[in-house]
Amino acid sequence: MILTGPEIEREWGNGRIWITPFSNRQIQPNSYDFRLGEELLYYTEETLDVRRDNPTQTVRMSEGGFLLSPARIYLGHTLEVMGSDTYVPIVRGRSSIARLGLFVHVTADIIDIGSKNQWTLQLHTVQELRIYPYMLIGQVTFWKVQGEITLYQGKYQGSMGPYASRSYLDFVQEPED
Amino acid sequence: MILTGSEIQKEVQAGHVVLSPYYRSRLNPNSYNYRIGPILKIASGSSLDAKQEVEWQEIEIPEEGFVLQPGTLYLGSTLEVIGSTRYVPSLIGRSSLGRLGMFLQASADLGNLGAIHSWTLEIKVVQRLRIYAGMDIGQVSFWKPFGRVFLYEGVYDQFSHPTPSQRLFTFDMPGDTDDLDRSRNRT
Repeated sequence: MILTGPEIEREWGNGRIWITPFSNRQIQPNSYDFRLGEELLYYTEETLDVRRDNPTQTVRMSEGGFLLSPARIYLGHTLEVMGSDTYVPIVRGRSSIARLGLFVHVTADIIDIGSKNQWTLQLHTVQELRIYPYMLIGQVTFWKVQGEITLYQGKYQGSMGPYASRSYLDFVQEPED
Repeated sequence: MILTGSEIQKEVQAGHVVLSPYYRSRLNPNSYNYRIGPILKIASGSSLDAKQEVEWQEIEIPEEGFVLQPGTLYLGSTLEVIGSTRYVPSLIGRSSLGRLGMFLQASADLGNLGAIHSWTLEIKVVQRLRIYAGMDIGQVSFWKPFGRVFLYEGVYDQFSHPTPSQRLFTFDMPGDTDDLDRSRNRT
């Protein structure tokens, strides 16, 4: 079950959904529009390896924005700190942005319950595209759960700004049990 | 309604969700991490045709890993057999790999009720990326449906290796024979 816009606003008021800063102008019929933060991160090497801590470069966008290239993956972040201990958030790009060929978070759109951060956004553009800080870039929806809740305590908890992949940590030790 | 991690665990034990092999350590707050098997299929030729059979080259990911190239579609498969007759599975990538520009199931993430098998993964990368067989590659969530259930009886159920598109030659107009027959059988 997906929450409607008015229910998102109500549950934000009840403290069961965190969105900071919050503006009721960004409420949609069944989602909330979030903004792009100022920082972008990209990898400095062309070939990446899931087993390595791949080196990165961070840029802070000015008012003039930043030109994305189709040849790279960029990591941005939500301006808002968001999360919920009650509902599962799912992140989507905005259709207006997708119509320009910018994919926001197309592969891992489900956020763990209890994860409260500025969320890192995976940005990939089909054609060159200039983007700007604070633009409305995506939407978050909130979903009801079935079952007992265990909160997220993973490797990205509490992150502010874009966080590079920590997939290499998966290879440090093999999970048991 | 999406199942929480502990509910997935409960339903695995009750036999209502199949995740095999199952490791509790791969359970997330509202999903389960699945791994990639060793076989990849790569389409030969840079331009594909939805009406033509594609020639696929098969490779086994070696110990030192395999570098995926941008501009190429790869088919992999889950190491696990995954499915449920009660809940709708949705397979997505992992954020740790999305952050490296690896996208999978970006367009067709929803599974069918009753399809219980090793799932074929559609993989694309933005930059060259070295991957390894057996690594955690995605997560599956389970959703409670609303309405009467009829189970999947499609063509992909019998496969446990990456299976290319089998829908190449169905260019019937909407409402043609196949769909009509199926709906008749169900009423």
